[in-house]
Parts: sequence; C-alpha cells; structure tokens
Amino acid sequence: MEAAAVEKSTPTAAAASAVGADVVIETRNLSKTYHDFWGRPKVLALKALDLEVRQGEIFGLLGPNGSGKSTTIKLLLGLLFPTKGQAYVFGKEATNVKNKERIGYLPEESYLYKFLNAEETLDFYGRLFDMPAQVRRDRIKSLIDMVGLQWAKRRQLREYSKGMTRRIGLAQALINDPDLLLLDEPTSGLDPIGTREMKDLILRLRDEGKTILVCSHLLPDIQDVCDRIAILHQGELKELGRVSDLLRVEKVTQIRARGLSDEAKEEIRAVIARHGGEVDGIENPTATLEQLFLEIVQDSEARPGRRAAGASDGKK
Amino acid sequence: MVVEHELLTFLEWLLPSQYGMGALLTFFLVVAILSVLFVILAYIFTSARHGPFEAFYVVAKSIATGVSDLVNTSPRRILAMARLAIMEAVRRKVLIAFVVFLAILLFAGWFLDAQSEHPARLYISFVLTATNYLVLLLALFLAAFSLPNDIKNRTIYTVVTKPVRATEIMLGRVIGFATVATALLAMMCVVSYVFVVRGLSHEHEVVAESVQDKRNAQGDVEGFTGETSLNSHHRHTFEVDAEGVGQTDVQMGHWHQVTTTKGPDGQSVYTLGDPQGQLLARVPIYARGPFPLRFLGRDGRPGDGISVGDEWTYRDYIEGASGARAIWTFQDVTENRFPDGLPIEMTIGIFRTHKGNIERVVRGELEVVNPETGFRSEPISFRPVEFEIFHLDVPRNVRVVDPATQLSRDGDVFEDLVAEDGRLEIWLRCAEPGQYYGVSRPDMYLLAAERSFFMNFVKGYVGIWLQMLVVVCFGVTFSTFLSGAVAMMATLATIILGYFSQFVVGVATRTIEGGGPIESFYRLVTQKNVSIDLEPGIGVKVMQWVDIGLMYLMQAAVAIVPSYGRFGTARYVAYGFNIDPNLLTQHAATCLAYVVAVTVAGYFFLKSREIAG
Ligand SMILES: Nc1ncnc2c1ncn2[C@@H]1O[C@H](COP(=O)(O)OP(=O)(O)O)[C@@H](O)[C@H]1O
Ligand SMILES: [Mg+2]
Repeated sequence: MEAAAVEKSTPTAAAASAVGADVVIETRNLSKTYHDFWGRPKVLALKALDLEVRQGEIFGLLGPNGSGKSTTIKLLLGLLFPTKGQAYVFGKEATNVKNKERIGYLPEESYLYKFLNAEETLDFYGRLFDMPAQVRRDRIKSLIDMVGLQWAKRRQLREYSKGMTRRIGLAQALINDPDLLLLDEPTSGLDPIGTREMKDLILRLRDEGKTILVCSHLLPDIQDVCDRIAILHQGELKELGRVSDLLRVEKVTQIRARGLSDEAKEEIRAVIARHGGEVDGIENPTATLEQLFLEIVQDSEARPGRRAAGASDGKK
Repeated sequence: MVVEHELLTFLEWLLPSQYGMGALLTFFLVVAILSVLFVILAYIFTSARHGPFEAFYVVAKSIATGVSDLVNTSPRRILAMARLAIMEAVRRKVLIAFVVFLAILLFAGWFLDAQSEHPARLYISFVLTATNYLVLLLALFLAAFSLPNDIKNRTIYTVVTKPVRATEIMLGRVIGFATVATALLAMMCVVSYVFVVRGLSHEHEVVAESVQDKRNAQGDVEGFTGETSLNSHHRHTFEVDAEGVGQTDVQMGHWHQVTTTKGPDGQSVYTLGDPQGQLLARVPIYARGPFPLRFLGRDGRPGDGISVGDEWTYRDYIEGASGARAIWTFQDVTENRFPDGLPIEMTIGIFRTHKGNIERVVRGELEVVNPETGFRSEPISFRPVEFEIFHLDVPRNVRVVDPATQLSRDGDVFEDLVAEDGRLEIWLRCAEPGQYYGVSRPDMYLLAAERSFFMNFVKGYVGIWLQMLVVVCFGVTFSTFLSGAVAMMATLATIILGYFSQFVVGVATRTIEGGGPIESFYRLVTQKNVSIDLEPGIGVKVMQWVDIGLMYLMQAAVAIVPSYGRFGTARYVAYGFNIDPNLLTQHAATCLAYVVAVTVAGYFFLKSREIAG
C-alpha cells in the first residue's frame, strides 16, 4: 500500500450531504472539557464536534494519542456528559438506557472482571441483556469459537495475555448482536493475524448490516476497512470524508504491470515524456512487513517444524 | 433492666393512634422533606452548570427517568449483579471474618470463664456483641469499596454501557453483599449458640458428708439437704423430699434438678441434672394503660415515689412499713391466658437507710386488687434478692378480703380480683421499717409464657442482620459518589452517630454540659473544666453561635441516621426475655424504610454521576 499525500477538502462538505432516518450517530457542537478536583477546567479534550455516522457504514475516527477519540466514544455511550452540545444515538440522547440494548462497546483496554473466566464473563454480560439461559448458552459458544478462545475458556481472565483479553473483550461487545459497534483501538495489542482477523470481522459485521465506529491511531487499520473517516487533532475535527475520495491523488496516475523488460520500461518513460508527464519513479514494489509476516505464519502452519525459508526469497 | 419504654403493638406503632402520628406517616413526612431538600440542592447544582432554565428541565427529566428505570428494573439483571458481588466478596476472602470470629471465641473461652454473677448474661451478650461489631465491620468494608474499585479499574465501563439501570447496580450490590453477610451471620449464629450452651454447661457432684436429714416440727425426717461440689466457680445447696426429688438453690443465675437413686450398698446416690433457668425466653406482660404504675405516699394517699438521688434514677422508691405502695395496673388478664393462676416476676432495687447486714433480705408483701370492686387478696409475703428476678405464683384459689366488711373468705383470682374489663392491680409494699423498695414500670410483670431460647437467640441475630442490611445500603450509597476510603469513613460515621444518638442529642439540646463541639475543643485545649463559665466576649459569643448551628446540623443528622443501638436486641436475649414479635416487626419495618430511602438516594447519586469523569 502506497503512502499518498492527502488532499485537503472541506470537512463540512461531506458532513452536510446526508441527513435522514438512516443516521445512527449524530453529534452537534459536541464539546468536552475535563475539570480538576476543584472544578477548574483542565483539558479541552473535544471542541465542537459535528459528526454523522450513517446506517451500515464503517466510520473511522483517526488521530494521534490524546486527540479526543476515546472521549468522543465515551460521550456517545453516556459515560461522560458533554460540556456543551449534544450527542444522539439512534435519535435518542446518549444517556438513554434503552439504546444500550443495540450497542456493543469495546473499550480501549478490556475492562473486565479478572476473577471470572471467559464463559462466566460472557454469561454475566449476557444476563445484563436479560437474555434467556438457552440463548445465552448458544451465543456464548459461538462467540468463543469466533474469537478463537475455545482452548482457554475455563481460565480466569487474570491469566490472559493482552491479545486474549482483547478477544474476549470483543466477544463481550458482540454478546447482544448489536446494531451499532463502538470499537476503541480494536487492534491494539493484537498480533498481525489477530489484526487481520479483526479487520475481516469488522467488514463481515458491516456486511451483516451493522454500523461500526472504529477509532484508532494505527493508520493502516483504518485505511483498510473504513468507508468514511474523520481525523481529529487536539480535540478538533480536521478532516472528514470517504476514504477513497480522501486518498485519491488526482494528479498522480499509477500503472502496474508484470513481465516488462528494461527496454519496455524505457519506452514507457519516453511515452510519458512525450505527453508532457513527469515520471516519479519506475521500480519494483516491496511487500509490506505485514504481508511478509502473514505469509511466514501461513507457511509454518502448513509445514510445522521447518524454518520458513522460502518467504525471504521475495515472492512478490 | 430491659424495657425502658412501653412497647406498642405493630399497628399502633405504624398507623396514627393515641400514641402519635405513627411511623408510616413520619416516614412519608421525613421522606417528603428530604426529597424537597434533595431536589432543591440538585436544582442549584445543575443551574450552576447548565443555567436556571435548562436545570429545571434536567432535574424534571431525571426524576421521570427514575420512575421509568424503576419500572424497567429486571430481576435477572439484579441477580447477575448480585452474583458478581458475591463472587467478588468471596474473592476478597470474606471468609477470613469467620476465622477471626472463631479465634475471638477461642480466646473468649478463657476470659469469660471468670467469676461472674450471671455467666449466661455475660456469654450471651459477649457473643452477640462480638458478632454485631464484626458483621457491621464486614458489611462496611464490602459495601464501601466495591463500586469505587469498579470505577477505578474501569470495569464499570463495560457494565454501564449495557442496558443496566442504576437501580440494578445498587440493588445487585446490596443483595449480593447482604447475602454474603447473611451466610456468615448464620454460621456465626450456630457457632455462638453451641459456644454459649457448651460454655455454660457444667456438672456438680454431691459432697456426701454434707448431706443431712431435714426434719419437720414433729422431728420426722421429711427429706435431705446438702451441698454440691465446687465447679465453675460456685457450689449449690440443695433440698430433696422424702422421695429424693428436689432442686438446688439458685447460684449464678441457674439451678439444677436433683434426683436420687439407690446405690449397690443401699445408700442414696444423688445426681444433679444440667443447669436450668439461665437460657430462657420469658414472655412478660407489662402493666399498661393511662397509669401503668402509680404510687401511694407514706400517708397512704396518692402521690409520687421518692427519688433517692442520681443513681437508678429511673426507679422510684417507697418507704418500708408505711402507707407507701407501688401499684401496677395490668390489662386483659384473662383465665385463658393464665389458667393456673398468676405467675408474677419482679425485680426490686433496695435502698437501705441504716447500716446493717447487707446480705439480709428485706421482706415485702403484695396484694392482688380488683380495681373495680376493691376486693383484695390477703397480703402475700416474700423475700426478694436485690436486682434479681424473683418469681412468685399466685394460685387461683386465694383468700380474698371484702373491702366493705374487712372479712376474708375463699375466692378465685379471676372471679373476685379481676375487673369486668380484664384489669387487675398489684400493690407492693416494703415490710421493713427504714428500708426502701425501688421500682419502675417494667420491674413487675406477669409471665405469660416461656418460649424457646434458641429461637430467641436467632431473633437476636435477626436484629444484627437488620443493622447489617442498613449498613450495606449506606455503604453502597456513599460509594456511588465517594471514593472507597471516604465512603467507608462516612458509613462509619453514620454507625457511630447512630450508636451514640442519645449522646449527640444530649449535646445538641444542651442537657449535657460543656457546650458544642467547638466550645468543647476550646475547653480541652485551654484545659477549662466544663463547670467553669467562659469569660464573656465577642470571641466566645461567635464560638457559641457557630456551635448552635453545628448542633442543629448534628441533631438533624441524628434524626435521619438509624439508631443502631435500638436495633440491638442482645439485652433481651441475655436477660432471658423473649423478643416481642411487635418489636421485631417494628425494627424490620424501620430497617426497610432506611433500605428503601437510602437505596433511592444512591440511585440518584449514581445516575447523576459522570462515570468516566
Ligand atoms: N478522565 C480524564 N480526566 C482528565 N483528562 C482526561 C481524561 N480522559 C482523557 N483526558 C485528556 O483528554 C484528552 C483526550 O483524551 P482521549 O480522548 O483519551 O484521547 P485518545 O483516545 O484520542 O487518545 C487527552 O489530553 C487526555 O489527557
Ligand atoms: Mg483513546
């Protein structure tokens, strides 16, 4: 995946476009100031955020650490009360309890009870949705299978690694088969396989018709899956729009080809020069480390015990 | 003494009656006042944030949400939260409390074994008090730290983002911790019971040399007397009849049955049974009505009893060998209740005006009187032991004196001495000149029945259970807006305030000298005795004004804090009185009122709290 310069576009242009019944999340002038013990303002974490997330899309909230992503999510969940402005989810105020029946939330770290095991954890959260016993049992089983914790389901969470905790955290967010998922840094702490699986899962859930709000500082994660993104910096919205639009570099044309000789490449250069174009570079692409890692692991799973030597040959 | 004030029946207590507006109305009144205060405070706080108009809307809406949350509260979610609370408690090793309790009992076994007038009272009040403090402490720790820990670890985020109402979080915790404490309390109850019964049980043997014939006036042998061996710091004397059946005297609050068998050589072998009379649950019927206890002065005319100084202020005294009488009026005395006559029990304080043998008994007499006709029984004389419960049976067939003729004839208690409406009077007289009897209303009662001691013991534990429940509610409620340690201190403060409510009211109403908190502190620092008047000056004035304000606050606090001391029914159990179901239901209702009010308050605190803030 090539790095590309992001074209500036006006944040309001995309936001103003769609207004209707399919708006799942709407924030108006949403602002949050954290106060210290004496009530003095300490941090301006979010400044006048206007946002709309529509039914069935994956919306990415992007920004460096401390830019107000988690704050936004907490405001949408009613964990925080806005200092100014409003947050609406499913057309109701964020604090509305009924809303929560349709929401799944994966916090930035998995805040789960360490003395419960995986099954007990899911059972507990299932009960909080007032799910009948049989439904709960079936759901727990399929979720544990889905996040791949079958082998550790009887172990207390205190013994879990970060990645395992993340997985069980995700399972707990899905226990109610939510319509809206709020994922705070879903890939943090996951290995590349886990990351890939998480991304695939997010796409699959979208295809099932769910609306997903992901926030992350890991750009590749967002780029892969998001339909639209917003970029936050120091609590301010800097950019908003469709990923494909935002990332399209209008002035650059990319051509990919296979089996070209050096003469052919020279010829192409000449053609470009003739048309008044400028050649940025003609070279062999490198694979990303992620691709490399995934290949090695797949290879080693196929032929266990051997050092996966073939991967270093540069297959691409 | 056990009963300080007249016990109302549950309905008299609950509903408006001649005794007052009733607890229910009081409850609603207090709740109404507090709610209004609460809403006003909430409004002021909200307007500071959102401005006066918005605040109005916010407060109204949160009340509406409260109602809808209550309606939508789901038992399954409450149980899920309760289960979690129980697991958390178990994980925090609450069972250690039980181990501590066992250790306390183990040590107590040594020091309770000392010489004591009433070992049963000592044992029972000890186990009940120890359990009481331990369980309240446990409830305090469990309740105060749980929610703040969840907030600190942020595990609460994953809970409140589910469709969980604040009511369910509150109730789940209260129920969960109450369940844990209940289980512990039940275990402690059983262990304590065994400890008390085992600790008090002992055996005596008869000292063979001490046995003597007992002869009547004609010189015939009509039985035997003797002494027992010294066990558990005491020995008894005993009497048996010609058949060899009898009992010992009362020592340390108990006695033994004595039976006789013939040994192999034809000699008498005396055996003593288990200790009796120390683990009781008596059901007393106290004097009631407009004048439950009244006095006649030394001239025989109606008057007051004499007060003999600060000591035993609640007792009034009647002079010996004079016209002075103490007269109790009992109600609803029926044949059904007392088919075999009147079992009377009394405790009497004695005030001696001249030195003499302190051990000497001061004789007394009582008469049973029909308040309607004036018919009276012939005086029945008795010899009380000071401050000991003394039992006296008035049989059904008595000699009654006709007030008109002063002649006596054979009569029946219920036919001649009880008025049509079931009233009956008992007149007490001290027979020794120069001595005084001190009595109060509950000192004399009719023994209606004896109930199971074990059940009474359990009722004593129910009293502790109620206190525990209230403490859990306070702890959880405080922890909705305070950090763990602070919530614990606050709950502890309510307990202390509750236990010492009498004292705090005394300070506030200035019946206790030395001034309010600031003045007391000033006196402490400047080492001024409470009886020294402070020099008047502007400083002292300001100090006293502030104190008055503080004391009003304290009085208000005391008025709404549960008086835990009242819930404690250990005294009843220890003194061998059945805990009246009316009392227990009153305590239970009071407790329920606190649980409801405090939990509702906690709900609003939790609801209005910014969880992630
Ligand atoms: N509870 C809090 N109290 C005070 N400041 C906070 C609190 N939570 C977050 N902040 C501050 O608010 C800003 C935004 O934080 P956050 O929303 O967590 O950022 P992000 O999730 O984008 O990394 C940061 O400067 C952070 O320090
Ligand atoms: Mg964050």
